[in-house]
Amino acid sequence: MVDLARKNLLHDKLRFAITISGVAFAVTLVLVQIGLFLGLLDNATITIERIPADFWVTSKNTPNVDFAHTFPDSRVQRVRSVPGVQTADNLIVQFMNVALPSGAEESTVVYALENFERWGLPWKVVQGNVSDLRRGAYVFLDASAAKRFGPFELGDYREFAGSRLKIIGVTKEARSFTTTPLSFMDFDLAQRVFTNLSNRASYILVKLAPGADPEAVRAEIRRRLPFNDVFTRREWASRSRNYWIISTGLGLNMFITVFLGCLVGVVVVAQTLYTSTMEHLKEFGTVKAIGGGNSDIYGILARQATISALVGFVFGAIPSYLMSTLIARADLKLIIPPALWTGVFVGTIVMCLGAALISFRKVASIDPALVFRT
Amino acid sequence: MPVLQANEIRKSFKEGRELVNVLNGVSLSLEPGEVTALEGPSGSGKTTLLSIIGCILTPNSGDLFIDGERVDPKRSDRLPGIRRRAIGFVFQQFNLFPALTALENVEYALNIKGTRGPEARSQAQTALDKVGLSDRRSFLPRDLSGGQKQRIAIARALAGNPKVLLADEPTANLDSQMGMQILDLFRALAKQENRALLIVTHDAKVRNISDRVVRIQDGRLLN
Repeated sequence: MVDLARKNLLHDKLRFAITISGVAFAVTLVLVQIGLFLGLLDNATITIERIPADFWVTSKNTPNVDFAHTFPDSRVQRVRSVPGVQTADNLIVQFMNVALPSGAEESTVVYALENFERWGLPWKVVQGNVSDLRRGAYVFLDASAAKRFGPFELGDYREFAGSRLKIIGVTKEARSFTTTPLSFMDFDLAQRVFTNLSNRASYILVKLAPGADPEAVRAEIRRRLPFNDVFTRREWASRSRNYWIISTGLGLNMFITVFLGCLVGVVVVAQTLYTSTMEHLKEFGTVKAIGGGNSDIYGILARQATISALVGFVFGAIPSYLMSTLIARADLKLIIPPALWTGVFVGTIVMCLGAALISFRKVASIDPALVFRT
Repeated sequence: MPVLQANEIRKSFKEGRELVNVLNGVSLSLEPGEVTALEGPSGSGKTTLLSIIGCILTPNSGDLFIDGERVDPKRSDRLPGIRRRAIGFVFQQFNLFPALTALENVEYALNIKGTRGPEARSQAQTALDKVGLSDRRSFLPRDLSGGQKQRIAIARALAGNPKVLLADEPTANLDSQMGMQILDLFRALAKQENRALLIVTHDAKVRNISDRVVRIQDGRLLN
């Protein structure tokens, strides 16, 4: 079958390029915007995902992992004695100011544990030995801190909440949702450095004994710690994510940007397809005159929309893919999972077909007798 | 037996609040292999009549039979099927698809009529042979002269072997010599393939190649 749709589309190369640009722009915008957001959300829950705890015991109504409220660290004993609990340890998560050699101050999110190896933190060590943390006033700092704190090396000292700590290790990929670098120090040291943390903890990490009934253990912890919440890892990650998505309005912000991206795509495709339809009206009249029906013309328009979607998607996807490398240099993460590729691909086709609907309406009303008009 | 028979065709259009009667009981028959010229001044109803017997418009009243089949004016959904089977059009402006080559223009019409693949390509090639344009098969319309475009339009109209060929001012955009050549070719092909050919025209040359001249004025046939 002669492919009138494709040939007509490619016949006017400038218009085709404009259509493709519109679609590609929308695809890139949506992929990058959602990818960046997913990257940030990944940061928001990365420690929750990395720590192999079955339960997180938190203060009542703690909104997300970064904004912890403290409680007496002795409560961990009550958890350790619950039948079915294999291990329970205190964890401190605390924003701290770091005084820089320049005199400026920057923030870091400190994670403090008694036994880092047990909980798999930090998960990507570039330099240093985590077991050394308990030996003195030492700290591990994430490599991303170099951007905010200036260059640093092992053996350098930085002032954390007024206390000089020696940097003995460097980690990677340890950042909070707000891209604040994470630091890791011994639990006792954190309590000494930050006086408000004396005898306090932010969380209790719980690992179940093999064969233990999770719900029974959770119920017992709740009974013993009525002023705390107990979340599974998945629940806690979801709660932390939802805080950023819903409570801060960032989700709505992203939705609006994605919507605007799609709108731009729809408008560009709709406008170019409609203009093209108007200019080819007589040709469509001829299709009708030689025996074609509306369905033949709908087929042409749908095929043009689909071709525009496919080519536009490719031209939008390539820069999005390449952009992840550039974005990584800016210490940001662009995460585009297969489901997002698929969703945006299907969405692009739907968007273009939707944009063609306005042309469908125009075509349906074509009077074939226009072929006789000069 | 006529391949097209129109009886007492009437058609009116609304123009604002007024009802304009464009055709006032036109009866016309076309025989196979017969070339008929339809002449008339502007506004006389030529194009409307052509649209109705070409199954593009439906009449308000009257009967139309094409190849023995009655065209039901209430079933406009069936008109495309009749156009595919029985009608071939040639237009004043050629109406070729600019993005398609000469061969593809003919092949596409065959595709619409239900012939696909190598069969369509072969028939399109044959149609181009008949109009003497095989060597221009790969040319786009923009690279062809007016006469060549019209010959491709004729090849397209012939494709699929419709019984009735309808031409709307086919020489209006051609110079006199080229117009005559096109008319001769058109007549020869219609005769050779036993098609009924109706040519709507202002062009006096058309009379010379026609078996019959029909005049229309104020929506009525004069002879």
